[in-house]
Amino acid sequence: MAGPHNHGHDHDHSHDPIEMADVPGYYEVMETAIRELLIDKGLIAANDIRRQIDVLDSRTPAVGAQVVARAWTDSAFKERLLADGRAGCEELGITFYDDTQLIVLENTEQVHNLIVCTLCSCYPRPVLGLPPDWYKLKPYRARAVSEPRKVLAEFGTVIRDDVEIRVSDSTAVVRYLVLPRRPAGTEGWSVDALAAIVTRDAMIGVIPVTVESPLTLENEAA
Amino acid sequence: MNALATILPALDELPAFAPGDRVHVLNRAPIGHYRVPIYLRGHVGTVVKVIEPSMIDNEEEGYGRNAGGKRHYYRVALPLPKLWPHYQGAPRDELHVEIFETWLERA
Amino acid sequence: MATEDFVSRLPNDIGGFEAGSVMRVEHVLEPWEKRCHALADVLDFKKIINTEEKRKGVEALGETLIGKLPYYERWIVAFANILFTKTIVSPTELAEKMAEVEARFAEQAAEAG
Repeated sequence: MAGPHNHGHDHDHSHDPIEMADVPGYYEVMETAIRELLIDKGLIAANDIRRQIDVLDSRTPAVGAQVVARAWTDSAFKERLLADGRAGCEELGITFYDDTQLIVLENTEQVHNLIVCTLCSCYPRPVLGLPPDWYKLKPYRARAVSEPRKVLAEFGTVIRDDVEIRVSDSTAVVRYLVLPRRPAGTEGWSVDALAAIVTRDAMIGVIPVTVESPLTLENEAA
Repeated sequence: MNALATILPALDELPAFAPGDRVHVLNRAPIGHYRVPIYLRGHVGTVVKVIEPSMIDNEEEGYGRNAGGKRHYYRVALPLPKLWPHYQGAPRDELHVEIFETWLERA
Repeated sequence: MATEDFVSRLPNDIGGFEAGSVMRVEHVLEPWEKRCHALADVLDFKKIINTEEKRKGVEALGETLIGKLPYYERWIVAFANILFTKTIVSPTELAEKMAEVEARFAEQAAEAG
């Protein structure tokens, strides 16, 4: 039941002794109490929460990978996607439940894109699911905008100096999805075969897509 | 006279800026809720895209204002070497960010 | 140090700050965390607490709490505060409900044990 220890916060601190796995902590009690009060008051329904959990579970990096694979194999779709990211995704049945907009950022020989939210954790959730902890923590948020090449190097990604880096910082209603470069050696591959090598981190822009990318936990449905 | 030729838009209905315009991020220093990071303030950039349609000011939305006062957001490109005094990277590296119209003036 | 800096800079406004290397940590969400995220979305859909109000609520926790609390813990405390301000829920109501929930969980654990 208890997952890997949650380091969703910034500072090192001494941890409380591990509690019995099945006893909800203070914040889970708070969440339960707030939810039940709101249901009792008729402001939300229990089914609203259950349904939204299912919605969240249905949005994984595999969804974004399908968008990328289709853009790689259908140039007319790619043009529509680049003109209006949300409309392009909606063609594929991807609904934008949070009413955000989407700009799809194409990586080319001349330009490498990466995305960040310095102020909080804005992320293209309708098409990628929920962001990893590192995306929400201080080191990435603080440094992606001021030293992107060093941050990329920490992911093992080196971008040549003659390639322009574009960092997109989400502060408002627009979210971003990086359209990574299609690797060589994938000519003639099906959409599904291509989607299988497109990882979440490639669509954030911190690593490239490679033919050797294994199917990772990121790509598996929740 | 053709009726279409005399249509007037409401104040603030049309975008104030167009792609290619040089804009200056204001040096305003609000307290409370804001969505324009301090590292951008006072800097000059170029409008890359007008975000359509016009929308609510997200800084006011934080105070529960869910309607009214709609204007445009703009995707603005700012050169990274100008944003950071000791920037280490390529001269054409850029930051792109969406900014609400009331935070911008023509540069 | 001028106190104005603390007043006019939000604790989450850290773009360009010094920070350590990116550690590629991530974790599978606990069920309550996912419920908390779903709650945020539902509150936004119904315009009970919109997403921007949530962001402002987290900022209002202040630098110390933001540093001490993990991600979803910040959200749920912010929701409590916002619901109090909007007089949708009172602090007394929440305290009593939390005690009731805690007792129920303890009873369930005892029965299961």
